[in-house]
Amino acid sequence: MGRMKFLCDAERCIECNGCVTACKNENEVPWGVNRRRVVTMNDGVPGERSISVACMHCSDAPCMAVCPTNCFYKTEEGVVLHDKDLCIGCGYCFFACPFGAPQFPNGPAAFGDRGKMDKCTFCAGGPEETGSKAEYEKYGSNRIAEGKLPACAEMCSTKALLAGDSSTVSDIFRDRVLRRGKGLEAWGWMTAYGSGDQQREQKREREGQK
Amino acid sequence: MKTFFMRRGSALRLALLCWMTAVLAAFAPVHAAADAAAEQAARQQSQPLNNAPVWREVRSGQEHFTVTRGPEAGVLIQSEGNTWRQWRNGPITQYGGVLLIVVPAAILLFWLVKGTMKLHDKPTGRKMKRFSGFERFVHWGTAITFLLLAVTGLAILFGKHVLAPIFGPAFLAGLLTVGKLIHNYVGPVFAGFIVLMILAFLRDNVWQACDAIWIKRAGGLLGGDHVPSSRFNFGEKTWFWLGVTFLGLTVAISGLVLDFPNFGWTRADMQLANIVHAVGAIVLLALACGHIYMGTIGVEGAYQSMKTGYVDETWAKEHHEYWYHDVKAGKSGHPQDSVTGART
Repeated sequence: MGRMKFLCDAERCIECNGCVTACKNENEVPWGVNRRRVVTMNDGVPGERSISVACMHCSDAPCMAVCPTNCFYKTEEGVVLHDKDLCIGCGYCFFACPFGAPQFPNGPAAFGDRGKMDKCTFCAGGPEETGSKAEYEKYGSNRIAEGKLPACAEMCSTKALLAGDSSTVSDIFRDRVLRRGKGLEAWGWMTAYGSGDQQREQKREREGQK
Repeated sequence: MKTFFMRRGSALRLALLCWMTAVLAAFAPVHAAADAAAEQAARQQSQPLNNAPVWREVRSGQEHFTVTRGPEAGVLIQSEGNTWRQWRNGPITQYGGVLLIVVPAAILLFWLVKGTMKLHDKPTGRKMKRFSGFERFVHWGTAITFLLLAVTGLAILFGKHVLAPIFGPAFLAGLLTVGKLIHNYVGPVFAGFIVLMILAFLRDNVWQACDAIWIKRAGGLLGGDHVPSSRFNFGEKTWFWLGVTFLGLTVAISGLVLDFPNFGWTRADMQLANIVHAVGAIVLLALACGHIYMGTIGVEGAYQSMKTGYVDETWAKEHHEYWYHDVKAGKSGHPQDSVTGART
């Protein structure tokens, strides 16, 4: 059994928000809830970096630790899921989570009337019967049960967002880091999409300009 | 023609520069951000791929740019949540739980050893009015809302350690669904009653010289000797100031913060409010155990006084002698009146 992980390669993320849209569409996420979001640091400045963030399916999940009704559980693949039938909408998971993953359909409502918490399920559904209508309505689609990976990562146009077994994901990322090497040509479009020949040509051009 | 354009271009550039300087000078934080941006841009040239400053920012908790709308959506990582988790799941649950077992147990032990504090003389059968209808309304309003909040609040903090293992998670979830509704809607009512309570009882809880006797003899609680006091003794006054006023307002205000996240509090605000709320509520509950004991099985006649508003003259004489004399002398029984003379 693998250990499911998300990894966002900030050297590749172009802040297209495709993952956000894919997630909302795949899971029919309630209005006002974004299971995934893209955050850009130093927006508009050379060297800006974007990261797509959602539930990170922590090994020692803070949401799980503070939930007063113990509505969270962990699958064998390390995916953190929750039972909406047990959720009382107290918001404690939102206080505890470092990533802002737990969201509430009513938002921060008066009298703490938040509604039942909703978060990324790694496209692994929920405690209802796998593939059932109830599961889809409460938690969204169960792609893992169908042998597919989360929709956000599959949709990612630059393959910045990786999802899957941690060993495979880290192999891919390690390979990328080694290929990127170090130096001026090591980040950006060129690195991600240009061939080696193109890169060398562009480097020569740059050096010629100096 | 060419020079004209160039001149106009440089004039424009100069104007733009002046305008930007003015704007940056007016908004110091913007200036700082621009500095960071310039630094970032320079770094891309000198040390490409060294993103250390960027990765430090990931954990800084500051808001970055995002098109997603939601509370604090621009914050990538908020680290305070872990501190809150450790406080709540650690000392608050553990020491709080111990305190709420030890205090009632100690009170029970005290009662088993000392028994109910009974009247020494026979009741006269003549009644004196101790509490007005308004005072009793405020007291019982506070008491009922407090007990509802205490029970539901305890279930939220300790339910998963105590109730879930016995009755199962579905029972706990059902209980807490109702419990959270009660807690969130009764809470503001309790806050209102606390304010009324403070206003209603403030005058008679001001400290007086005769309180020194009570302190010296530890209220006569252990020795059982007679301690004279006015309408409220020092023990009651301590409960009023520490329990009702300080802790009551503390839990009410922190509770209102938690109850109304729609005012846009950050997670850090609500974590702090939650810690204050939990600590305040646990200490208040421990003190309330003492108050409830004294008002029920601890002191004979105390419960009747708040239930009916009247006490027997013997009771008044033995528990609140100065107040008894004031009332008998035709004064109001309020301490200030007994000092300055009857105003009623």
